[in-house]
Amino acid sequence: MTDRAAEENTQNAETMIRLENLSKVFPAQDEAAVDDLSMEIYEGEIVVLVGPSGCGKTTTMKMINRIIEPTSGRIFLQGEDVTKVNPDNLRRRIGYVIQQIGLFPHMTIADNIATVPRMLGWDTKRTSDRIDELLETVGIDLSYRDRYPKELSGGQRQRIGVARAMAADPPVLLMDEPFGAIDPITRDRLQDEFLRLQQEIRKTIVFVTHDIDEAIKMGDRIAILKQQSKIAQYDTPESILTDPADEFVQNFIGSGPSIKRLSLSRISDIETADWPVARLTDSQDEARNKMQSSGKGYVLLLDDEDRPRRWVGTEDIKHDGVSLEEVGRPAVAIVEADSNLYDTLDTMITSYKGSAIIVDEGGRYQGVVDFTTVLEAINTMRPHEQDRHMSPPEQEQPHERTERDPQAGGEGDDDPV
Amino acid sequence: MTILYKDPAKVSGGAARLLRYLGMPIFLGFACLALYLYIGSKDLDSIERRSINANVITARLIEHIQLAAVSTVIVVVLAVGVGILLTRPFARRVTTPIVGIANIGQAIPSIGLLAILAVVWAGGFWPAVVALVAYSFLSILRNTMVGLQQVDSSTIEAARGMGMTKRAVLFRIEMPLAVPIILAGIRTALIINVGTATLTTFTGAGTLGELINNALRLGREDTVLVVGSGLTAILALFIDWLASVAEDVLRPKGL
Repeated sequence: MTDRAAEENTQNAETMIRLENLSKVFPAQDEAAVDDLSMEIYEGEIVVLVGPSGCGKTTTMKMINRIIEPTSGRIFLQGEDVTKVNPDNLRRRIGYVIQQIGLFPHMTIADNIATVPRMLGWDTKRTSDRIDELLETVGIDLSYRDRYPKELSGGQRQRIGVARAMAADPPVLLMDEPFGAIDPITRDRLQDEFLRLQQEIRKTIVFVTHDIDEAIKMGDRIAILKQQSKIAQYDTPESILTDPADEFVQNFIGSGPSIKRLSLSRISDIETADWPVARLTDSQDEARNKMQSSGKGYVLLLDDEDRPRRWVGTEDIKHDGVSLEEVGRPAVAIVEADSNLYDTLDTMITSYKGSAIIVDEGGRYQGVVDFTTVLEAINTMRPHEQDRHMSPPEQEQPHERTERDPQAGGEGDDDPV
Repeated sequence: MTILYKDPAKVSGGAARLLRYLGMPIFLGFACLALYLYIGSKDLDSIERRSINANVITARLIEHIQLAAVSTVIVVVLAVGVGILLTRPFARRVTTPIVGIANIGQAIPSIGLLAILAVVWAGGFWPAVVALVAYSFLSILRNTMVGLQQVDSSTIEAARGMGMTKRAVLFRIEMPLAVPIILAGIRTALIINVGTATLTTFTGAGTLGELINNALRLGREDTVLVVGSGLTAILALFIDWLASVAEDVLRPKGL
């Protein structure tokens, strides 16, 4: 099955899943749950189906692996019409993750993951190697192999659920609110992890959620669905936020589309400012010189491993004979370079004067970003937004309000702490 | 780390379990001994000696165990099978009437059912088996159905979604997860059968019930009746103990 999948992959690299005039009418219901839906999903992208409860998004997803059989219409997987093929064989080619995860409580973690490989007749060695590989991929210690699901936390179970779905390396993953039953902090982390994982595995993923913020975060493309799975808009998160197709989409996105857009840009996408830096071990004179030559009122102190430690201002080193390690303020408001602008802005707001220190994954100093810089980045997004037919007058746009903040940001040049 | 954490629990759990496993057989051994000493202290007349001797008691005991064992095996096969069928989606319409019929089996007094079978069919072993099966059918059927229905639907959906066939879902997911509840039903049925088997003496199936019946007819309550009812109680408790051990051993790990 996998060989064949790989073969077809090369023949038809563009479209992974095509739904053609798909409808579902449940018995004893007058209205169709899904009415004449057609859509294409490309290889290697995450498509999020999002919409209000009862819009048919889950039904739509479950028709792809025919857990729910369509009433009419056709499903193509890798160019092959799979509407009538044996559903069990079809499902072994498609990973499936549901909100409740549905791990088998009477089987060990290893046996859970081995479910599909065993059905496909893999030998013991190959299956066992694959289990180890997957546990590593999802960041679960190998010692968990012989444990049972009840011994795991919610987040760990979710990861095992993903590992199990990927066990036989299917080209497609279907995920039905996979992070829905997990606390917000763990959910955020799992989402980040999953996006990182997707960078490596490049699966075609159909992801169902009712949470527009999750959709914006996870989706390469988002299909916003109305009742009966009618597509209101099917586009990239950026386009949906800057140019909602109609009032339904606009309402569904909710307030602050410009703010939400910020979560789609990363600090690494914008230019960051240089700041005078000194070492904790440097002398006061050296720090003073750096401040004077740069014209800034503060200097950032780094430790031996380039990690930001303290802010020190002119006032702090008025008196001679104090070590730099004991003056100034601790460096807070630190963000990683791959953080998005939304989180960065949030960090800046909670810092004293509105700027954030950027570090790499190792915590090493990369630069400083302040309100002015973020505002410039927002301005570059703005031309699209001005085209929006429903956009309120300029003055009332959310980012206009932030324009008053640069005053704070301006002062921040001298007092960034 | 894990060893340190797990060991205390394992040790205390193991000790408690051992006590539970051995406590009942030790108690029953003492009960047998007490029964033996009690009868030994009595001066038995010829009628009593005809009932209370090794040959008769062994024969009655074997009849009793055979009847209980055969009827339980048959009822397990039938009731678990019917229970599985009734929980499949296609059987939704017939579920209620069949559970109703099983209810009647249990509602009719067992002695009445035995009498009816003896009149319309015959006395002896097999009619007694039929009566016991009818009488204990519901407890296993009900537990099988409940056991299968309580399996989390998301677990089944995940299994189906990964491409397990319906048969594989039944035997690899649903049945193992239902085992504890089904076993509890089987245990109940066993106890019902061991107890009810004493009544089959009235339709000529022998069993320990014969000792009890003889004692009452011949007015030997303080000797024959004590042996008959005492052995029945000891046998019932012993089989219940066996079933409890089986429940522990057969329960899937991880639940």
